[in-house]
Amino acid sequence: MQLTKQLLVLALLTAPVLSFAQSPIGGFMQGKGKGNVVVSYTTESYDKIFLVPQKIDGVPVFNKVDIQSISVYATVGLSSKVDLVANVPYIKTKGNASEQVLTNLGYSNERKGIQDLALYIKYNPFNFKVGTGNISLIGALGIQTPLSDYKVEESLQSIIAIGNKSTQVNSYILAMYKLKCGFFVNGQLGYSLRSTAVPDAFLSEVKVGYAAKQFYVDVFSATQISTSGVDILKEGFTGSFPATKVNSTRIGVNVYIPIVKGFGISSGASSYVYGRNLGQSTGYYGALIYSF
Amino acid sequence: MKFTTLIIAAIAVVVLTATGCQKYDDQKPTIAGIAVAGADFSILEAAAIKGGVAVVLSNLNPGDPSGHYTVFAPNNAAFARLGLVDEGSLAALNTTFLTNTLLYHVSNGDLLNNALITNSTSSSALGGLTRRIVMRGSDKYINGSKILATDIGASNGTVHVIDKVMIASSANIVNTAIAASTSKVFASPELTFLVAAVVKSGLAAALSDPTANFTIYAPTDAAFKAAGFPDVASVSAAPASTLQAVLLNHAVGGGKFTSELSGTTATTAGGGTLTYGAFNNGTYTIKSNGIATPANMVVPDIQCTNGIVHIIDKVLLP
Repeated sequence: MQLTKQLLVLALLTAPVLSFAQSPIGGFMQGKGKGNVVVSYTTESYDKIFLVPQKIDGVPVFNKVDIQSISVYATVGLSSKVDLVANVPYIKTKGNASEQVLTNLGYSNERKGIQDLALYIKYNPFNFKVGTGNISLIGALGIQTPLSDYKVEESLQSIIAIGNKSTQVNSYILAMYKLKCGFFVNGQLGYSLRSTAVPDAFLSEVKVGYAAKQFYVDVFSATQISTSGVDILKEGFTGSFPATKVNSTRIGVNVYIPIVKGFGISSGASSYVYGRNLGQSTGYYGALIYSF
Repeated sequence: MKFTTLIIAAIAVVVLTATGCQKYDDQKPTIAGIAVAGADFSILEAAAIKGGVAVVLSNLNPGDPSGHYTVFAPNNAAFARLGLVDEGSLAALNTTFLTNTLLYHVSNGDLLNNALITNSTSSSALGGLTRRIVMRGSDKYINGSKILATDIGASNGTVHVIDKVMIASSANIVNTAIAASTSKVFASPELTFLVAAVVKSGLAAALSDPTANFTIYAPTDAAFKAAGFPDVASVSAAPASTLQAVLLNHAVGGGKFTSELSGTTATTAGGGTLTYGAFNNGTYTIKSNGIATPANMVVPDIQCTNGIVHIIDKVLLP
């Protein structure tokens, strides 16, 4: 497929904000030697937790949790059919437990650090015309692994851990259908194989968007279904949060506007509409994007 | 072939997304889940976390064939009676005492409301120490705690809601008072003056008698100060006979919870008379001849092995 400038712009929008539970794999390829670098700032918070069987008000111990992160994301095309993708987030989580409670339990209200490096190779073997549009089929394989010795598994303290500290091998298949007028839809399926006690998971995402030369918008729904794991405060729970069955559906919106000479800005919001064993967070991000 | 793959992928995406929206209305929460979900159990939730029983009550009971527990769950107002008004105030408690207190609210199997009959007892998870069911009018009590709601079903047992935290000691009256005077109960020592008085008076042996059964009104340190003892040394310096006479005015034969109060007067072990105020919201006032205004209960209904102790805010002078 011949990449147009417009599609390159679209490719920028594959920029993931990993804490947003969006897939790091987008439907557009970069083209040989081309790519982009994205620096994003995300803020999200929650004071409700999806438990089984019901959602609860107030996060145990911490009442409300605020998460801020800065991510550096880069992607580059090795050929017209192969891209490399990398992402590293720095995450700071803050709880809102009182000083007395913290002293009482020996807990801390803050956890921060560089979280996991994600590296993907993305391959686009097939493109073909269907009606007035194009279909692309893409496969991706990647690894996500902790870059720092951040703390996890400290009983309820790990509610505000910055990650699960697990190495994951993730694979995706993606199909995208794009019309000439700018509308597109893509769907993807993934499987995440995870080390330690963190359950493996199926991942999926559907995205519908519109891309014009000076404007881009999409809406998405991203779902994770753990293949095993226990529920928080249910039979089998040992106090280890990484071992829990985390399911979720998050919906969101992304907007991108090119500014000047390869620079553009992006922003978005998303929120969980369904969850199991996770905070019902709503988040927002802003990003500066440089494409080359 | 390519189309088939695409169609399969599309269907799978839809199916996975739909699966993600399942609800769990058919599932019951665990006992720990009930505590965490209930707004009126926020102190209990924090206590269970600090006391290390939250994970235990998330799971099946390995000590009972049914896999179930029964928990008498004090609501937030129950904790507030002890000055435990928020999660942070639990710092006032010794953690071992807190854990033991929580265990006293737990028993094996499902103890349903219809089995909670007058004078029946049940063994708690605190070394088998028992609790007693008391009927007062149409109200049902376990020890001195009124049962507000019954038979809340959990996936791993049954929850009943109570209006007072039940406190039990696996020690006799004297050793319980000593524990309270050495930071083994509340982080700030209490009953240190009383313990000094018991030791000096020579009544320690009688109050430690395992075959005895008393109701003891135990004045706080502040009560002793208000009665004219500026410090513990002044208590120890007082004549033994004086202290004995005063202390015996705090003991009534037969250990009774507040819920079991009947009558308006009682004769003390020293031969004096105590006059009780009306039973009101789980407590009553106590007046002796030597004081002008009656004493109030600070912490009622502490179950000891040889009696029941009610901590009060005045010394009951004969």
